[in-house]
Amino acid sequence: MNGPQPLTVTGLTVRFAGLTALDGVGFTVAPGTVHALIGPNGAGKSTCFNVLSGVYRATSGSVRLGGRELTRETPHAIASLGVARTFQNLALSAHSTVADTLLLGRHRLTRSGILASGLRLPRAAREAGRHTERMREIAAFLGLEPYLDAPAGLLPYGVQKLVELGRALCMEPDVLLLDEPIAGMNPTERQHTAALIASVRDSLGLSVLLVEHDMGVVMRLADTVTVLDFGRKIAEGTPGEVQNDPEVVRAYLGEHQETETPR
Amino acid sequence: MSERLTSRLGWLLGGVVLLAMPFYLERFWLQAGVFAMAAAIGAIGLNLLTGSAGQLSLAHAFFLAVGAYGYCVFAGDSGSATGLTGWGLPPVLAAVLAVALAGAVGGLFSPIAGRVRGPYLGIATLALIFIGQHVLLNAHDLTGGFNGRAVPPLSVFGFAFDDSATVVAGVPFRSMEKLWYLGLALLAAGALFARGVLRGRPGRAINAIRDHQTAAGVIGIPVARTRGAIFVLSSMYAGLAGVLLALAFQHAVPGYFGIVLSLEYLAMIVIGGLGTVSGAVIGAAFVTLIPQVLTKYSESLPLVSAPGTGGVAPGEASRYLYGAAVVAAVLFLPGGLARLPVPRWARKGARDKAPAPTSRNMEVST
Ligand SMILES: Nc1ncnc2c1ncn2[C@@H]1O[C@H](COP(=O)(O)OP(=O)(O)OP(=O)(O)O)[C@@H](O)[C@H]1O
Ligand SMILES: [Mg+2]
Repeated sequence: MNGPQPLTVTGLTVRFAGLTALDGVGFTVAPGTVHALIGPNGAGKSTCFNVLSGVYRATSGSVRLGGRELTRETPHAIASLGVARTFQNLALSAHSTVADTLLLGRHRLTRSGILASGLRLPRAAREAGRHTERMREIAAFLGLEPYLDAPAGLLPYGVQKLVELGRALCMEPDVLLLDEPIAGMNPTERQHTAALIASVRDSLGLSVLLVEHDMGVVMRLADTVTVLDFGRKIAEGTPGEVQNDPEVVRAYLGEHQETETPR
Repeated sequence: MSERLTSRLGWLLGGVVLLAMPFYLERFWLQAGVFAMAAAIGAIGLNLLTGSAGQLSLAHAFFLAVGAYGYCVFAGDSGSATGLTGWGLPPVLAAVLAVALAGAVGGLFSPIAGRVRGPYLGIATLALIFIGQHVLLNAHDLTGGFNGRAVPPLSVFGFAFDDSATVVAGVPFRSMEKLWYLGLALLAAGALFARGVLRGRPGRAINAIRDHQTAAGVIGIPVARTRGAIFVLSSMYAGLAGVLLALAFQHAVPGYFGIVLSLEYLAMIVIGGLGTVSGAVIGAAFVTLIPQVLTKYSESLPLVSAPGTGGVAPGEASRYLYGAAVVAAVLFLPGGLARLPVPRWARKGARDKAPAPTSRNMEVST
């Protein structure tokens, strides 16, 4: 593929029985940029991610990756178009080793089925070897190498968050959706991870859509910021513009006074 | 001694002992062994589905029946005096076709098995048990009805697995001796295949579906298709187990393939350990051999007596026993017998390999 294509969200509305979680939201993630999606708790950020990744159906509106409409696709079809995501709350198998968890990210890039794996065909072994090598590179990039043989569930929370990021990176995505990737980490881990995200954009040229409550990190990483409040877009612009937007100050920073995630 | 070497030696020793058994055991125990091997093959299949993919199935007995009766029909004499349908195919071909048939029937059900999740699939598969029992009792031409039908003996390239004795090292080899080796070979092949699946890409995918269905989809795993495929594979294991069981019984009856049999298979994987091949094998040995032991030694055991003489019949007693074993496994041994506490010396090697995880040893790369 020749690099990421723009991810364009237009007029996205999601209603749950009686509750409008997203109300005509639109924004565009430009290729190779970090685009932050911020807003107070319950603003609809995760709901937006769930629509982008095919987990929820949109009530109306559209999501396009280049020319492809995503709102009617299944999650695995969206993944195969090069969209990867992490979850706000961990979504790992506690008993699987970190190596197996990362290899799971290679699923869409590999072919070995039941027959090839069961019969241990040389083809399957070659494929496994190739992808294990790449998986180790990614683990090394994230500093996860010492944990490869450990069950993911036994690791500290911050490391588990990194494992999930690693699993998403193993998918070799064009677009990476990160839902609060540094929440629950200690300051050292936060700094480490924020630097990793910046380096992912710079060295791999991915588009990153980032949901994060840590304003310091958002201001440092983001090229563009979209602000949601009660499912509506209330502001958009560079971090500097958004920071000084009176509506944002009132809706978000003013009322909550929080720069760190409460949960 | 390294852990790997110890386990290699263990396998070698176990293999030699199992290969030598037919020279020492009487027919009763050989038959019990063949039952256990057949059950182990079936349990491996169920463990792939229920233990590894998290999909409950109560239809395992149904697929065993498809394998068993499929073999009888494909290999049975055509136009015999019994009035039963038989295609008269070479027995090996019939066995392969019976396994394929079980897979095909599993495939017909896989749209449901792919979409219905976990415990709900258990309820949906109940339907197959009822349909199966109805067909077995009423399709007289195929199944022989209530009294069942005889199972044609296997023969491989003219080498018959019947009671014509072939003398090996002074020991007459009859059907059970031969079936013992056949069962051993099939079990080894089935176990190796399942391990390959579990350790490879499909195994990772089904574990992900079991543990976090949404995440599995987002990672790029086609959830419904993968579940459907593992259901088919599990059905084929059941079919193979059914063929082997039929060969060991030499007569297939519908009553055997009811809901109780499905529950026994679930008991096997819970007792032995969910999600592993060794767990399935150990659980199958436990559940199938206990009734045999109780039957054989019922006179010398307190409380247990021969059927119909008052007291607890061996079959019933064994059900109490593994009922209790299931409860014990769930409460005290979540990994089943396969995860019994390992001696310290054997565990040390494994512990050395995984570093104690801390959040301190993360370098900041700025
Ligand atoms: N599956 C669902 N069914 C019903 N309501 C839902 C569902 N998912 C989200 N909601 C509601 O939609 C609104 C937006 O939730 P969402 O999780 O998107 O917020 P968020 O911006 O991610 O918040 P946070 O910062 O706390 O993660 C909330 O009121 C939430 O209760
Ligand atoms: Mg959220």
